[in-house]
Amino acid sequence: GLAGKEGKTWKRFQSYKGEAGLPREVEAMRIFVDRKAQTIVLPIYGFAVPFHINTIKNVSKNDEGEFTFLRVNFQTPGQLAGKKEDTPFEDPDATFIRSITYRSADGHRFDHLSKQITELKKEVNKREQQRKEMAD
Amino acid sequence: MTTQFDGIYHGTSSEVGKLRIAASGMAWRGEEAGEVTAIPSANIKWAQWIRVARNYQLRVGHKDQKEQNGKDTKPKDLKRDVFDGFAREDHDKLAHLLKQHFSIVLESKEVSVKGWNWGVTDFQGQELAFLVSNKTAFELPLTTVANSNIAGRTEVSLEFAVPADKKQSRHPPDELTEIRFYVPGTHTKERGSEA
Repeated sequence: GLAGKEGKTWKRFQSYKGEAGLPREVEAMRIFVDRKAQTIVLPIYGFAVPFHINTIKNVSKNDEGEFTFLRVNFQTPGQLAGKKEDTPFEDPDATFIRSITYRSADGHRFDHLSKQITELKKEVNKREQQRKEMAD
Repeated sequence: MTTQFDGIYHGTSSEVGKLRIAASGMAWRGEEAGEVTAIPSANIKWAQWIRVARNYQLRVGHKDQKEQNGKDTKPKDLKRDVFDGFAREDHDKLAHLLKQHFSIVLESKEVSVKGWNWGVTDFQGQELAFLVSNKTAFELPLTTVANSNIAGRTEVSLEFAVPADKKQSRHPPDELTEIRFYVPGTHTKERGSEA
């Protein structure tokens, strides 16, 4: 994750270098998991907006009637109530996106997406953990 | 002389159509419903070029009523039309046409693809823009905000009206229903507690 053990270190990350890096699939204006870029691309009013997996905390899914809702929760400062805030941020005074929620009639697809995102998050966390152990 | 661009969308609609540009103005016609959106050359004020989900977008700003016919206008009358689906290579051709027919410059607007969830919100007319490193990450049309909420002193949520299904397409886009912002700048931070 973002948390650095040795004090307030913030590791810079970036989804794409330029707009040409956006994958073709974003054209469908649907949530897309780009594993190679470790990024989730969200459709927001015609824009294809990438979010690096490091910005994502978790996803939650729930069914309401004929629709399924998928909420993407992001890492933000001031979230860890009661805990010592040890997650560094490049600019803690910026405005942060805390969550974005989508609706779909296709519950299976949202189920699949939710698993994909959770898997990617796990993978990246694991790799980060290994990196830290190697460094010790 | 008329120049035609195929595979162009109007607004966020899924209907594909053609955009034609001539000295008299520009017009988009949808291939399914056949409806026409026309902007006469006298109404065209500005044009922008920006990368969106469906490749590149042409935005056309309208002149207000006063500029068009001398009558006074309210700010809400200011309008723009957006057309998605242009290829990157269309830029130069489009820039040339707009210059030639309407004497306007096609401005390029840069987008952020950094993948960050922090930035600055900026009200731009009817839109709330989210900027990352001074580049647009996305814009929210405020006219579609159905409800907004302030939770505590640092969280703002916006709920969006999801359009009722006109017709169920085979591959409908995912519908944004809510976005929540954390705005730490609005309260006094406790400093020195971790020193």
